[in-house]
Amino acid sequence: MNGPIRHLAGVIFVAFAVLVGAVTYLQVIRGPEYRDDPRNLRVATGRAGKERGTIITADGVIVARSAADPNDPQLFRRTYPEGESYAHVVGYATLIFGAAGIEQTRSAALVSDRDATISGVLNAILGGDIRPQGLRLSIVDDLQQAAVIALGEQYGAVVALDPDTGAILAMVSNPGFDPTSLQGRDAGPAGNALDADPGEPLRNRAVNATYPPGSVFKIITAAAALEAGIAGGGTTFDDPLTLELPGSTATISNYDGEVCANGDIVTLTQALVSSCNTTFGALGMQVGAEQLVTRAEAFGFNQEIPFDLDTLTSVIPGAESFANDLPGVAQSAIGQRDVRATPLQMALVGAAVANDGEIMQPYLVQQVFNSAGEVESEATPAVWRRAMSPASAASLTDLMEKAVVAGTGFRAQIPGFRVAGKTGTAEVPGGPPDAWFIGFGPVDAAPGEGRVVVAVVVEDGGTAGTNGTGGSIAAPIAKSVMESFLGQ
Amino acid sequence: MTRSAEAALLLTASVIAAFGTALVGFTRGIGLDAQVALTFIVFVGAFGSVHLSLRRWAPSANPYLFPLAAILAAVGLTEVYRLDPELGSVQRWSLLIAAAAASALIFVLRGDGVAVLRRYRYLFLTFGVALLLLPLLPDTWAVRGIEANGSRLWVGFDLPGRTVSFQPGEIAKLLLAVFLASYLADHHLAMGTTRRKIGRLALPPLRQFGPILLAAAAAFAVLVYQRDLGASLLLFALFVGAIYLATGQLAYIVAGAVLVVAGGAASYQMFSHVQRRVGAWLDPFADFSDAGYQVAQSLFALGSGSLTGSGVGMGRPDLIPAAATDFIFAAVAEEMGFAGAVAVIATFALLVAAGFGIALHTRDLFRRFLAACLTLVLAVQTLLILAGVLRLFPITGITLPFMSYGGTSLVANMLLLAMLARISHGARV
Repeated sequence: MNGPIRHLAGVIFVAFAVLVGAVTYLQVIRGPEYRDDPRNLRVATGRAGKERGTIITADGVIVARSAADPNDPQLFRRTYPEGESYAHVVGYATLIFGAAGIEQTRSAALVSDRDATISGVLNAILGGDIRPQGLRLSIVDDLQQAAVIALGEQYGAVVALDPDTGAILAMVSNPGFDPTSLQGRDAGPAGNALDADPGEPLRNRAVNATYPPGSVFKIITAAAALEAGIAGGGTTFDDPLTLELPGSTATISNYDGEVCANGDIVTLTQALVSSCNTTFGALGMQVGAEQLVTRAEAFGFNQEIPFDLDTLTSVIPGAESFANDLPGVAQSAIGQRDVRATPLQMALVGAAVANDGEIMQPYLVQQVFNSAGEVESEATPAVWRRAMSPASAASLTDLMEKAVVAGTGFRAQIPGFRVAGKTGTAEVPGGPPDAWFIGFGPVDAAPGEGRVVVAVVVEDGGTAGTNGTGGSIAAPIAKSVMESFLGQ
Repeated sequence: MTRSAEAALLLTASVIAAFGTALVGFTRGIGLDAQVALTFIVFVGAFGSVHLSLRRWAPSANPYLFPLAAILAAVGLTEVYRLDPELGSVQRWSLLIAAAAASALIFVLRGDGVAVLRRYRYLFLTFGVALLLLPLLPDTWAVRGIEANGSRLWVGFDLPGRTVSFQPGEIAKLLLAVFLASYLADHHLAMGTTRRKIGRLALPPLRQFGPILLAAAAAFAVLVYQRDLGASLLLFALFVGAIYLATGQLAYIVAGAVLVVAGGAASYQMFSHVQRRVGAWLDPFADFSDAGYQVAQSLFALGSGSLTGSGVGMGRPDLIPAAATDFIFAAVAEEMGFAGAVAVIATFALLVAAGFGIALHTRDLFRRFLAACLTLVLAVQTLLILAGVLRLFPITGITLPFMSYGGTSLVANMLLLAMLARISHGARV
């Protein structure tokens, strides 16, 4: 009579073995997948209330800090003393709304090792440094605040960088938000309101928004012509009232609807100084889609920018899409049609001109330091890509300086300093134009003396609305930032 | 000799329980407090009284049953206490009551006590079914049924200051096991024979199966009416397993399996909470925020536990709804890791092995069947809930013996062990 009991026991032990198999599968094989699932609150709650590293600017202004809760020394509260002005760069790390900015991308350095993992406990016992590391940004507070004030209430973005190193000196996006409001108990409603705001205050427009670049793209068209040997500063073009586009009823005319110069002939220099669409449309068709797209990609279009923040890629359609579409080439050559660029990308275009045709890899984090304030690692400037030859860069510098001295960019003039720049007033279907300016100075600074590149975009013509232009709206903002850099 | 070993093992389990309470205290930032001493005293008192009862009234009983249960109770209490100190405190008192009940049962079953059980099987059957019916008492009565989570399983009554509730079904399964073992001991020979055949299909003798089928039908009707499908499944497995034990005919298991599938399909059609649970089982992430939430949280807990676990008090098992009851195993697996989870499964397997060993070494038919039936109840209950937590099966909402929060379950399973211990004493004399 033992048979049935043995058989039953056998079946039950097989079932127990299956349980062990299931535990192995769920905990060991599938375990990491479940552990890292974004819906698994353990990851986020594990970090909530823990000390995070301090973030300071290049000149020592604290922009993010953790302070122990007076009621519970185990709990830390994160505050952002500079509020809105650094909201998009520094970002936030929250329980409910995830993370953004440097707080997200450099989280590994900023979190404390004071945790319950075996290595964490061992580290603590062995007296290792378990406090979080801090970050020193490349941003200079004076420039950042100058950009914030100059942009004012207008929607848009400002990027300032050092063309010799790639260090970002200012990065502002408006509208903004106070990241401290996403901490603590009221984070839920506060975050939902920001998320639902049609002005998209959470978006970092400097890197996560693309705009039609309009006339600032003419720098790239000119570079393509210079590199291809098609034109130089003195090359002359016809100066019609409107540019007829072959195989199309569409035409290109200038911003003011007038001829570019005298209605007869115009030089490339004159055309850039006055930002003539007729000339650059014709030049674009002469250069051809192949050369234009190749040159734009050399400047960083269609390329992922290696950066400390997640960025959108600036786009120009491939050359093959312009087969039998010369009008498309002409419109792309003046930064319209399907060309889209981020403010960071256009700052890098300015940097290429300023830095003899080479673009340095942009960075935001200057140093990582430990809890004792000792520097653990430092950013090393590196060349990202070559956009054009030094000769072309020198020619373009000359053209852009003339555009400030005697052209559309005159509002960026700073007495006593040589400034180069280019305006853009990009047409946006069904709305006021986006106002652009990219520029740099001082043009004649010796290497190592320091120069600054500034890119500005103001949405919907800014305070001037439909009458807004790059020259009237964006250039004064760039001027303010450059003045701050020059100590004016 | 065996009893001294038992005493040493029980003392070890008590130290582990106290250590668990201390760990929870440290991770809560309280440090050592009176709770640690209280846990130790309760464990020593509870299992000490059982141990002394065994020494007195069943000195040659299997010495591993209660130590294995004690270690499971220690791990379970640690995790329950960690999830909610108040529940842990209640669970501690439940353990004392359960141990007192087990000691009393060992006393009652002294001498020829087990043999007496056999004679009153219809009394036990009646009691068992009556207990199953208790939750159907109207809400307005002093002793009333209580419904929770779509099932009506609890009975409660008010004492000054608080409501006491318990799950009569937990006790009923023991009484039904006694009934089955007794009935099968008397009728197994007749049941094993076949009188009539239709073609090649041999029909079982209806006269012998009649009462047992009636009993089964009554029990199921009640459980289905209360919508406690986990307990239905448990009882069904008990009936089918017991008939197989008595007849040795595999056909009953096959027939039982067919009935389970058919019954499962029928209840899926009939009950919305069964549909929810099956849906959550098949794909917990499909309806993550609602039906699948609990199973998904359990999977997160298991995955986050990894090999060695987060450490007691360092994980987040509190994110799983009903972590202290249905999902206590997931909580243990998160905080004690794969190592702790496998250790718990192995401990249950050892306990079940001890139970079947007692059945195999008992000559008296009734005791043999009773030991096997009780072990079967323990094993199937453990397998059902663990398979639910590990997503091999839908969640059935029954407790994990000795570990889940719940006084009635603890009392019932300690009584089950007391009976097994008493049977093993007889076997060795």
